[in-house]
Amino acid sequence: MTQLNNGITLFFSLLVEAMPFLLLGVMFSSVLLLFVDEQKLLSVIPKNVVLAALAGSLIGFLFPVCECGNIPVARRLLTKGAPTAVAIGFLLAAPTVNPVVFWATWIAFRDQPEIVFLRVGFTLVVAVTIALIFSAQADVRPFLQDSLTRMMGDPEPVAATPAEAEISPLLKSGTFLMQSPGQVLQLDAPPAQVLAQVAVAAPPMATRLRMMVDNMVLELRELGAVLVIGSAIAAFVQVAVPREVILSLGQGPVTSIVAMMALAWVVSICSTVDSFFALSFASTFTSGSLLAFLVFGPMIDLKNISLLLTVFKGRAILYLFVLAAQLVFLLTLVMNLYTG
Amino acid sequence: MTSTSSSNGSRASGGRSLPWQALVDAAMLLLWGLMLLRFTVTGKLYLLLHPDYMWLAHLAMVLLLAMGVSRLVQVGLSYRRGTGQTIRSQEHTALLPRQFSVGLLIAIAVFGLIYTPRPFASETAFQRGITDVLGQTRSRPQRFSLGGESEERTIVDWVRTLNVYPEPDAYAGQIAKVSGFVTHIPDWPDEFVMISRFVLTCCAADAYPVGLPVELPPGTARPAPDTWLEIKGTVQTSTLDGKRQLAIGDPTLTEIPEPRTPYEY
Repeated sequence: MTQLNNGITLFFSLLVEAMPFLLLGVMFSSVLLLFVDEQKLLSVIPKNVVLAALAGSLIGFLFPVCECGNIPVARRLLTKGAPTAVAIGFLLAAPTVNPVVFWATWIAFRDQPEIVFLRVGFTLVVAVTIALIFSAQADVRPFLQDSLTRMMGDPEPVAATPAEAEISPLLKSGTFLMQSPGQVLQLDAPPAQVLAQVAVAAPPMATRLRMMVDNMVLELRELGAVLVIGSAIAAFVQVAVPREVILSLGQGPVTSIVAMMALAWVVSICSTVDSFFALSFASTFTSGSLLAFLVFGPMIDLKNISLLLTVFKGRAILYLFVLAAQLVFLLTLVMNLYTG
Repeated sequence: MTSTSSSNGSRASGGRSLPWQALVDAAMLLLWGLMLLRFTVTGKLYLLLHPDYMWLAHLAMVLLLAMGVSRLVQVGLSYRRGTGQTIRSQEHTALLPRQFSVGLLIAIAVFGLIYTPRPFASETAFQRGITDVLGQTRSRPQRFSLGGESEERTIVDWVRTLNVYPEPDAYAGQIAKVSGFVTHIPDWPDEFVMISRFVLTCCAADAYPVGLPVELPPGTARPAPDTWLEIKGTVQTSTLDGKRQLAIGDPTLTEIPEPRTPYEY
């Protein structure tokens, strides 16, 4: 009975601590969904591949979204002609490298600041590395879902130098609608592309605000449910699994990392709140394994595979998964061996 | 997926049927807000969170209630206008079925409105490895003053002090006055109990127990586990589990009610 009471108290404690951050994350992502113009953002991204990958990884500071919100954004970036390095860097790093997540991690681990900074550092290393590996492939299309490649239109945005494309938007064949000076809308572009461009510009402020609240409620509902399930699992593991088992698993430099990565993959908890989840393991698991959880979880987990499938084909997701898992494992193992 | 709002109205159902989905959403938001309100008003939030972060929970409460109310107003307005229209989000890829998510969230909020959280007690303290030593991952304050009266130190103050200078003889003869709950440690002789507290750094998820051994005066009945006591005694060195430890000797025990904030920080 005591165990049950403790479990429930732990469960509510996680929920109550995490809910404000979830709300904050949802609010930011809804605001930015409607008020940030990705097109303008893309035009200032450096052309150098390494810098582009880094820039992509850091865009998260402008789009503080967790891993459920970042896939639609990465998808939009791709349809708007973002280089692969930017899109992949964003996809992997944005859920972690953003102010809300940083703050939440800081509150949870203020006694171990190295976890907060290494979380960001390791994420950037992994995201940039994988982004570079992917951009070695000249045409990323074979990795993407057909529906998305259709939305991306002709292959030319990748082939043509972006500078040319910016100077002469009208020197292309097709039907165009002149919007504000210098801005044209290609009407015979694939419909989704046209809609994506219109949607940002069209709605008036009142509608936008309403859409923002709608989006908040929608994301809150979805992510809140995942948070509830994740907190329940964390509380259950804490009170139901014998402490000796957890300790024997959690103190080994290798087993602890593998266990936490597997847990991260299964639990699928949102990155804005996962530090509180990890915190409940802080006394029993190695720091490296906590980091593995905090770095790997937001990149790929059971829940976002279904979302990733809206962008990538299965093979590409497998590559992402294997690469991310190996890199995170290596980095955190080095940390465990070094600090342990 | 891309149901843009530019097509206002065309999607409107037109009838005056109630927008149930929006109402259920509003109920969910309001229930969550009320749950947080209840935890705040009853003081149970102290059992769940570190006081430093309570404002975050309060902020969430206000936001949730505001969102719930605005949802209701929205529904009311569009119902009066006779348009059943709801604007949907641009980007949405469902993970869990909508009914499942809402149902789960409402169920948890209702449960939170009924259930009263209990603070962690001696059984958990024992299970989590109660100790007078702080582990590797524990909060180590950069500075604390030893200048104060020894009577003013709480259990965690004592433990932090011991962590810096562990020799128990150094404290011999000082007066200790601490409050906490009683934990029985199985291998200890009958005249010893542990007076303990949980310490939070963030929330109940990272609560860890600390405690000091107390040597009961001869002939005193052992207080039951989880009894809250205020203990005043003299610091002495005792050997327990083959280890020299600081203990409180010759104590006067006063039973106290469970404090509103049972944890230390």
